Amino acid sequence: MMRTKIINLSVIFLFLLLGLGIFKLSVMQGGKFKELSNRNCIRLIPQPGARGRLLDRNQEVIVDNYLTYDVMILPQEKEQIDNVLSRVNEILGENPKELRDRFRRGYLAPFLPVCIKKNVDVKKAMALEELKTDLPNVIVQPCPLRKYPYGSLASHTLGYLSEIDSWRLSKLENYGYNSKDIVGFGGVEEKYDYFIRQEEGALSVEVDHKGKFVRVLGYKPPQNGRDVQLTLDLRIQKIAENSLSGRRGSVVVMDPNSGEILAMASFPTFNPAIFVNKTGPSIAKVFTDPNAPLLNRAISGVYSPGSVFKNVVASAGLETGKIKPSTSFFCSGSMFVGRRSFKCWNTHGQQDLNGALAHSCDIYFYRTGLAVGAQQLHDYAIKFGFGKNTGIDLPYELDGFVPSPLWRKLTKFANWYDGDTANFSIGQGDLTVTPLGVTRVMAAFANNGFLVNPYVVKNISGYDVSSYHKKAAKLAIKEGTLRAVNQGLRKAVSDPDGTANVLATLSVAVAGKTGTVQVDRKQPHGWFVGYFPYQAPKFVVCVFLEHGGSGFASTVLTKEIIEKMIQEGLI
Amino acid sequence: MRNTKLLILAVALAITCLGVLSIYSSTYQKEGQLWKLIYQRQIFWIFLGVILYLFISKLNYRTLWDITYILYAIAVFFLLLVFILGIVRLGAQRWMRIGWFNFQPSELAKIIMVIFLARYFSAKSIDDVSLKVNRYGIIRAFIVPFLFVAIPVGLVIEQPDLGTGLIIMFIFIAMMYMGGVRLRYLLLILLAALISLPIIWQFLHDYQKARLTVFLNPNIDPLGAGYTVIQSKIAIGSGGFFGKGWLSGTQSQLYFLPEAHTDFIFATFAEEWGFFGTAVLLFLYYLLIRCGISIATSANDHFGRLLAFGITLMLGIQIFINIAMNLGLAPVVGVPLPLMSYGGSSIMVTFISLGILANIGKRRAGF
Repeated sequence: MMRTKIINLSVIFLFLLLGLGIFKLSVMQGGKFKELSNRNCIRLIPQPGARGRLLDRNQEVIVDNYLTYDVMILPQEKEQIDNVLSRVNEILGENPKELRDRFRRGYLAPFLPVCIKKNVDVKKAMALEELKTDLPNVIVQPCPLRKYPYGSLASHTLGYLSEIDSWRLSKLENYGYNSKDIVGFGGVEEKYDYFIRQEEGALSVEVDHKGKFVRVLGYKPPQNGRDVQLTLDLRIQKIAENSLSGRRGSVVVMDPNSGEILAMASFPTFNPAIFVNKTGPSIAKVFTDPNAPLLNRAISGVYSPGSVFKNVVASAGLETGKIKPSTSFFCSGSMFVGRRSFKCWNTHGQQDLNGALAHSCDIYFYRTGLAVGAQQLHDYAIKFGFGKNTGIDLPYELDGFVPSPLWRKLTKFANWYDGDTANFSIGQGDLTVTPLGVTRVMAAFANNGFLVNPYVVKNISGYDVSSYHKKAAKLAIKEGTLRAVNQGLRKAVSDPDGTANVLATLSVAVAGKTGTVQVDRKQPHGWFVGYFPYQAPKFVVCVFLEHGGSGFASTVLTKEIIEKMIQEGLI
Repeated sequence: MRNTKLLILAVALAITCLGVLSIYSSTYQKEGQLWKLIYQRQIFWIFLGVILYLFISKLNYRTLWDITYILYAIAVFFLLLVFILGIVRLGAQRWMRIGWFNFQPSELAKIIMVIFLARYFSAKSIDDVSLKVNRYGIIRAFIVPFLFVAIPVGLVIEQPDLGTGLIIMFIFIAMMYMGGVRLRYLLLILLAALISLPIIWQFLHDYQKARLTVFLNPNIDPLGAGYTVIQSKIAIGSGGFFGKGWLSGTQSQLYFLPEAHTDFIFATFAEEWGFFGTAVLLFLYYLLIRCGISIATSANDHFGRLLAFGITLMLGIQIFINIAMNLGLAPVVGVPLPLMSYGGSSIMVTFISLGILANIGKRRAGF
């Protein structure tokens, strides 16, 4: 049969092809390959590239690289290695036994050089380079490392670098990451690691059996990582951190129209430079400190919003028609909800919406909240972005939480009482949110009802990525509602009795809301969140002080920040 | 005839002996108890394989016709199971732990697909005389069997094991050819495959793309994908005419050659035994293939004929791709060299296949 014949012939043909292939390699080119193999043979010298830099919005370099030198040795016979190590040690001045141990530990394969000393300075590197004529198998390799010219400034947003851990490795293996790679931890360094990281190159050289260089076989040049420009303004960041320093809390400054983060500070803070040289005790201290300096409180800390939640309650009341801007309630200092007495922090008398927001009258919002109902309050909180992270391009952002009667029923097997609604309406109880979440809600009042998506990365190696961030969504809130609440927020500053009246003396018109959150057996948390200038808002600022005493303390800190921004001509 | 059965066994055992020698040579210097025992485990697999061979060569191959669909279901079941229970090694999820033995279901899938296709293309019409396949249109000749083949191939490629997937596809095309599907359909299918190549390229993993580009020029990535091919060529080339001698290969023993006892065992063998040794090895393989083809041509029914061809071609293509990849003539796709490479699954499945072949050979004179 025809087809059988063809199969037969092709089998013979393919076997002949293989035979010829082997014949060509081992008989015709055998001499050449024999030599290659005898010289034992190919050495791979990795060529590291530099990681991309991080810049602020004005092209100021926040994170840079600098060159250090690694000393590496190509493996060879044992007696020779001892000789080489002692020669090298004349320059390095290390403990010779330690050096030998390091060589033994680092040895992987005869064709891979072993690093015996890292971070050698330029002088020693030059001296070693001169040895090269005698000792051809010593390699001095430039190696770029991270430099932080501003120290701990913006460290939470930037992140730090360290050796990849097994959890990250298991996720990133398929994207070309290997064990012992240096990768970003936290902040932009982690989120954008794929763009910032360099690509290692390699030089494949042929060496003879003594490790002597013969010729280059192949070369893959290293590729530097991409520079990433952030939306941060270093000047504002510095002001924010200087004002905050020494306390616990966070400051967020954001552009309400675009969602660009202009400053994000969290205290206590840490210096990412300690991870570069791996100085043991200081790293351990950062991890074990009970004040959690590595925690970015602006996005990874969730707290009760307290009174800053009142503008959401006011909006809910206005939207559902339960109150009008002119609706007023009488504040006698306390009221009964069921059989429990709920207190106001002061006695305010007759209050309309404007006054209630300005004075942060609790009674007014108990009554509004009870009129609106817990389920509606929950729905409006969700609408304003509570209960879900803002989606900022930083890792480890938390969601916060919005309680509801149904949730209480399902998870706690308990009923929801009017007292819970009253607590909910002044932002206490189970409701939690991150400082960034609060900032975003205030931005919605400042920009006419858009829920923006905050971001910190503006462009990557000159390529504008702001259009890749999610667009702001218009909230289904009436114009009148926003106007009424905004007037109240402004009045909190302009009214002589307003809770944020200390800001009235500033040359720029500020609107905002204070908040004081009661905490069990500790100092209360203090909030201030506001925007300015009032007529055409350009900045939203949120100051949160963990156990900072009161909203007043946060307001004073805000004043400090805005004053300095005016001084430096940033507004 | 008893002769074929003995001949196949003798040739197969000769090849496995060369394999064990090379496995020993490439691992005996490595540190760790596991490495030192590896050749003993291989001997154990061969022992089991021979028992399987003797048993299966007594079993009438026509029973395979009856249980084809059960076998097919078993193959798919194991391939699905490996996704759930499989262990990840060398970046792929191909193995399943059964006791102390790592079982590779894709090896089993190969031989089962051969049986399945042999049955499909040897279906007879009701008068029991003429083959249906001669009258098949494109749908029954290609589309229907392709759907059956696509399920295991898809699962295998997802593991990812591109090599085995491609081999099953090759077996499929070869068996359509041998099964008597009209030539113009075959040409049409090959054309369609050629056109869809750029689309398939999009679905490949990065490392697979790298291997294919490196195949064209190994020096563009000396650190990564190109390294193995360069080292393998040096190993084979440096063997010269008579080789460096057993236990004297430097490439395979000084860690230069990765996977020296599995996928690149041919390079290990060639380095130590030279062109002379490889010529003997090639001759042994050729003998095995010839034996298979002659059994196929003189089989007394269509199922047996197709089955024998399928098994022969399955072994042949693995031998060819593996050696070609060792020589740098084919891209590196993880295909073991049958009977030589270390690995229980491969050894067992190869012996089972040879057992079926021997059984077909035994029955050709009868009836």
